[in-house]
Amino acid sequence: MYLLSKIRETILSLKAGRVTLTYPVDPRPVPERFRGRPVFQPEKCIGCAGCANNCPAREILIADPCQEMRVVMYLGRRCTYCGRCADLCPEKAIVMSQEYENASPKVTDIRQNLEIWMGTCQRCGRCFKDAGPLDQLMMKGYRFDDLGAELWVYKSRAYLDKEPVVKDINIELD
Amino acid sequence: MRGLTAFFSSIINLVLVLLIAPLFDGVTRKVTAVVQSRKGPPVTQSYMDLMKLLIKEDIEVGDSPVMQRFSALLSFAAILSVALLIPMGTSAPLSGWADSILLIYLLTLAGISVLLAGLAAGSTYSLVGMSREMMAMMTLEPLMAIAIIVSAVHADSLRLDAIFGGAVYTGSGLLWSRILILGVTAFALQAFVGRMPFDVTEAETEIMEGPLAEYSGPKLALFKYARMAKMFLYTGLFIALFVPRIETGYYLADLAVFLAEQAVLVLIVTVIAATHARYRIDQVVRYYVVLFVFALLALLLAVIGS
Amino acid sequence: MLKDFLKKYFGRSLWVYHCNSGGCNGCDIEVVNVLTPYYDVERFGIKLVGSPRHADVMLCQGPAGRATAPALKRAYEAVPEPKLVFAIGSCACGGGLWHDTYNIIGPIEKVIPVHFYIPGCPPRPEAIIYGVALALGVVEKKAVPTEYHPMKFPIVRYHPEDIHVEKGWATYDKLEKV
Repeated sequence: MYLLSKIRETILSLKAGRVTLTYPVDPRPVPERFRGRPVFQPEKCIGCAGCANNCPAREILIADPCQEMRVVMYLGRRCTYCGRCADLCPEKAIVMSQEYENASPKVTDIRQNLEIWMGTCQRCGRCFKDAGPLDQLMMKGYRFDDLGAELWVYKSRAYLDKEPVVKDINIELD
Repeated sequence: MRGLTAFFSSIINLVLVLLIAPLFDGVTRKVTAVVQSRKGPPVTQSYMDLMKLLIKEDIEVGDSPVMQRFSALLSFAAILSVALLIPMGTSAPLSGWADSILLIYLLTLAGISVLLAGLAAGSTYSLVGMSREMMAMMTLEPLMAIAIIVSAVHADSLRLDAIFGGAVYTGSGLLWSRILILGVTAFALQAFVGRMPFDVTEAETEIMEGPLAEYSGPKLALFKYARMAKMFLYTGLFIALFVPRIETGYYLADLAVFLAEQAVLVLIVTVIAATHARYRIDQVVRYYVVLFVFALLALLLAVIGS
Repeated sequence: MLKDFLKKYFGRSLWVYHCNSGGCNGCDIEVVNVLTPYYDVERFGIKLVGSPRHADVMLCQGPAGRATAPALKRAYEAVPEPKLVFAIGSCACGGGLWHDTYNIIGPIEKVIPVHFYIPGCPPRPEAIIYGVALALGVVEKKAVPTEYHPMKFPIVRYHPEDIHVEKGWATYDKLEKV
């Protein structure tokens, strides 16, 4: 009886065939709502730093090298793929992709570094939503010249001395 | 002339054991994998395991490194010496110079070398594994000894070519003692080769591989090789003692028949190993003691003459 | 010479020792899953062994805690050369969620050198097999650091002495001095 049950067990196991997946050779599909590595889309990011504030592993770091630029750095090593950053982002700039093949010999290999150009408020200097490349030209440090009227037009007083340096040119202050 | 034949025959026996034992181990792993519904390692995997072990660094710590080296070499040497006493196709190479007492002695020596290995390492896990192995060995080794002695009693001689080749039927009908001892050895074959239900000492992850826990590199390769060779030799011994020999006159055909019979036994052992769970040490000892009682009964019957 | 011939077979049979130094067992379960029939990794010759002295590869998971860091170091030293260390899971790669708690020293690379990182919490068994296949050289690495720099406009600084006006047009002589 005992022997028969063992023989039956063997036949049952053999009936299942080989269930092994041929993984590294063939790609494996993932379930639909699978959370893989978060991917940052820099065109949509406004630099609000909500993701950095909320990351439970403190894996997103923010730095301001100057008034107009904010660096968002995602170091991937401690990320638990929880999805809080994607949930929170007001512009939906973070997408939890379905990539799970993130192994590598160097731990710095899944870092994502974004430099976001911020539009600054002219009165207080703080950042607001960046409107596009044309408006980037209107900021401090840039000037446009009125070639028809042959005028230099400065948009900011930061580059000017108190009295006009060149006597025969009219410089219009904004 | 006899000496020269014996010399070449022993070389061939040794080469056979060394080449085919890892193949049987690979077949074991593959069949276990098939029973477990997965694609297992390739059949040549054991060769690669042994080759990889040879290039690993040899860490020697513990109570006595000298004893560690000695036990590794002793285990390998004892098992290979048994290979010279088993008929593979033709009669055993050393059958004129050795007898069955030497065979029993060498088999026990191969078992003791694992005990020495555990003692030489000296760590807690090794000692626990060694004590379990000792308990199991004390009740297990006599079974093979009694099997050989029953054949010797029936053949009235201790010579190797007299005890091998006899089958269950000889001349005067069925011999009850032979049938009994055949049953006992068949039930204990799993235990002799150290496979699954009776795996308590050899390859378990409960006590971190037991007596071999502290060995690495080439010494571990020797122990693993000895274990693979044990499978080959005990099945060969079983066939030599209990399966009637088919003499075709050609050496290669005899050898092929021998290997085929061994392959069948290996398959049976593997399937039983894949479908059973490991027994605890007290269950194991109880099992062996029951078998030992039957073996003694068989010996008694053999001596009476039945 | 024999060693060079045998070195080829090192990648074909790797024996793995699994070491957990304080993790939550999530990655433990995924590692053991990798040995089940579904994801069977034994077809590559990889076998789980119970003692670090038999192993070639140490699969570590869990961060290095204050009490388990010495034990981790001893287990690492018990593995014979040549050896590899894999850090599995986000706790082993970078400290995980617990990187600033009271009893965690940090990621395991503060205690032992790591050769391959497999991030995830827990990493899928496929991700672990991918990491192993990457170590064996069967697949190519997919993780690359990405950087984004917005378009840079040259910020022109004008020096008044280089401007001269003629015929109503003002030109700047040293345009390259930006």
